[in-house]
Amino acid sequence: MDSKRTIEKYISHKAFPSVWCPGCGIGTVLYSFLSAIQSASIDPDFIRVVTGLGCAGKINEMLTLKTISAKNGFVIERAIRALKKEPHSIVVAFLSNPDFLLSGARDFMRACKNKARIIAVYINNFIYAAGRDNIRPITPFMRSSFDGNHELPFNIPALADCCGASYIARWTPLRAGWLKYSLIDAFNCPGFAVIEILSPCLIFEVNNGRIRNTVERMNFYNENTNMNEEGAWEKLDLRGKGKILIGKLKDMTNPEKNK
Amino acid sequence: MKIKIHINEERCKGCGICVEVCQTSVLEISDEKNSQGYFVPVARYPDKCISCSLCEMLCPDFAIWIVNCLDEVSS
Repeated sequence: MDSKRTIEKYISHKAFPSVWCPGCGIGTVLYSFLSAIQSASIDPDFIRVVTGLGCAGKINEMLTLKTISAKNGFVIERAIRALKKEPHSIVVAFLSNPDFLLSGARDFMRACKNKARIIAVYINNFIYAAGRDNIRPITPFMRSSFDGNHELPFNIPALADCCGASYIARWTPLRAGWLKYSLIDAFNCPGFAVIEILSPCLIFEVNNGRIRNTVERMNFYNENTNMNEEGAWEKLDLRGKGKILIGKLKDMTNPEKNK
Repeated sequence: MKIKIHINEERCKGCGICVEVCQTSVLEISDEKNSQGYFVPVARYPDKCISCSLCEMLCPDFAIWIVNCLDEVSS
């Protein structure tokens, strides 16, 4: 009996052990992506994976699919160029560096507005700037600077909704099954799809010894998110108190089922 | 036995998510180390497995997977 999975043909076996920390959420997101490709029965020759900087920029080392690596902040611009070159391909952009809203903000807004067929998966691990007094456009709070953060952060799902994205969702990696079906919906969506993932980071997020291992960190993310609220776009802000809203937020392929 | 649990010990990093997630407590962290120095999980009670494949979905390192032999015969 052949014990290998069908997913194994998408994974490069030279890349193991992977570069990520034990229990990082990016591996779970990658598994959901590959199983979504398998479940939707998409030809893998039509898929282009675009990656940038950061931890999720190492995804292209793990895959045997056709990958493109971009400069800092210009991931979506590079994805638009790949889509212009091959209009029938499915372009998936994995973003982890928030500079795609700093130097590449016009490309994000233009892709939303023109309904380019790109799936942007933003893996948000709350590590915005490792240096002191270094602020990114979506930094909700700062511990490294003396004064904190005076700027209001971007709210990515609300921004994508204003600019006209067709599919918006937000998940945590512990909801991997929901994330898989969300990615299958995004493959079938004719416009720009934004999926934000609140991913745990074990190394940099240390809460004074309260959270000791990976399992507690995963459960912390699971307990502080809420999926069953309706119409609460104000609760999408990561800075607000109370539980963070996750789930499918907008789906233009099926407008009657919008929340 | 109809359900087989495969664990690739060289890929595992010992995060313990599969042990936490398993609803029927099939898996346990063993005392053996792999070549990286991590304690790898082992299927202690494989008869309890119901092949929900939650451990397979949540493993970040593609180290564990479930094969249901009934599905293979039918397909």
